[in-house]
Amino acid sequence: MPARFPGTTTDSHSRRPMTVPRPPRVVLAKVGLDGHDRGIKVVARALRDAGMEVIYAGLWQTPEAVVRAVADEDADWVGLSLLSGAHMTLVPRVLQLLRDAGLDHVGVLVGGIIPEDDVPQLLALGVARVFGPGTPLPEIVAFLNQHPLGGDAERCLG
Amino acid sequence: MSWVTLLERFRRGDRLALSRLLSLLARGERSDEILGRLDPTPRGTRGSGSPARVVALTGGVGVGKSSLTGKLIEAVRPAGTGGPPGLSVAVLACDPQSPLSGGALLGDRFRMPSQPDDGVFIRSLATPGGQGALAEHLDHMIRLLEAFGFDLILVETVGAGQGDTSVRDLVDVVVLLLQPETGDDLQWEKAGVLEVADLIVVHKADLPGAANVEAQVRSMLALGGRDAPPVFRVSARTGAGIAELLDTLLAQPLRRKECDRADDLLRLARDTLTTRFSRARTAQDAELQGLLGRWQRGELSAAQAASELLRLLAQQQGSGVRDQGSAGGPSSLTPDS
Ligand SMILES: Nc1nc2c(ncn2[C@@H]2O[C@H](COP(=O)(O)OP(=O)(O)OP(=O)(O)O)[C@@H](O)[C@H]2O)c(=O)[nH]1
Ligand SMILES: [Mg+2]
Repeated sequence: MPARFPGTTTDSHSRRPMTVPRPPRVVLAKVGLDGHDRGIKVVARALRDAGMEVIYAGLWQTPEAVVRAVADEDADWVGLSLLSGAHMTLVPRVLQLLRDAGLDHVGVLVGGIIPEDDVPQLLALGVARVFGPGTPLPEIVAFLNQHPLGGDAERCLG
Repeated sequence: MSWVTLLERFRRGDRLALSRLLSLLARGERSDEILGRLDPTPRGTRGSGSPARVVALTGGVGVGKSSLTGKLIEAVRPAGTGGPPGLSVAVLACDPQSPLSGGALLGDRFRMPSQPDDGVFIRSLATPGGQGALAEHLDHMIRLLEAFGFDLILVETVGAGQGDTSVRDLVDVVVLLLQPETGDDLQWEKAGVLEVADLIVVHKADLPGAANVEAQVRSMLALGGRDAPPVFRVSARTGAGIAELLDTLLAQPLRRKECDRADDLLRLARDTLTTRFSRARTAQDAELQGLLGRWQRGELSAAQAASELLRLLAQQQGSGVRDQGSAGGPSSLTPDS
């Protein structure tokens, strides 16, 4: 049975919705030098199975390449996976480049191995959520379902 | 941001506006408003200065469409400073929606160059399940990319079957990819896939069996009777055959535009003839009366009378009785009005 994305259902009243709800488009990218993409692929499939459009941008992405992919794909969210320990330079760089590109409305998620102590700082910088290893997939799905349009609801007025 | 603002920014070459407008068109929102305001004769302003060339790459799952697209992008981009300017290229990469969830895992761009390049734009699209290989509103998105000024537009479409014929109408050149492992000629024949192709690529030519597939394809094309499309052996992995494929691709006629323009012209000619004919009848034109009379008495066959009529109507250009352009009528578009 189709697990319809909750945002796409219209209410039973005849009133037309102000905006056209749609499932989020999510760019997933692996930044940094390590070459493990098993985790990010599992997340990609889970989001697809929850009705979302997932753009898998691949391994070894530079922050510049990630931001370009987000721009060209008109994504609502970008999920960064980092295992290499360089998150405190790479994540702020992505956030800065998103702002420079006029993409403030795009929500940023971080996954991978992030030391507990660094999480508050990443959140303060503008990351919406950090999902450590072993985060249950339904938790990630539920979070995106609650915030389908990244950081900015106005943009769906198109 | 409103679509009006987006269009203004689009006209100034704003890439983000292009991206947003593409999303609107992909969802079928504001299509008439947006498309109606695009330049009707766009030129590839960011590269060659000639009209956009739209190429579809189609073929079975995993045949290497994205990898080859990636190689073609690299091949048309300038290698370094001082070289030729290169062509700007946009990609629309279609992947199927999951039939269960309606979601999609779009993995095509992963095989394409990822470093930012202002001359390269890649958009992934989900194609609805069970509706063939094309994303909805693909034609509208192609028009938008064209208006932005891309020289080359590559469309990757899933699958190779009857559904593929629809892509022919949207593009200038259809490239069909086959690979050694799927060398089942009966399957191709059944699907009629060879017929839609303008160029055929036997891909993964680095693998054993490519020569075999090529021989099968050629013998089948020989049976087909029509002008056989060129066949190339190509490997995205080794780069073999890419340059030859690209040369031929870029030399193919722009079918889509010629077709559009030719159809427009034919429509105009038909309108003009109809107008002249009815005016000549209303005016009781002596020559026309005579012709009709000879035909009705059986002195002329229908075919003879028709070609006589064509000659007559062609002569009547600018003769005063005809083509006194009624405002907005077809004849106001004719050269003699
Ligand atoms: N041996 C060989 N393998 C190749 C070649 N090109 C691509 N591949 C491999 O074929 C597989 C599929 O490549 P893709 O480019 O994703 O193929 P695709 O047709 O875009 O696949 P879908 O979009 O999923 O239908 C990958 O594992 C590639 O590494 C080639 O020239 N030679
Ligand atoms: Mg592909």
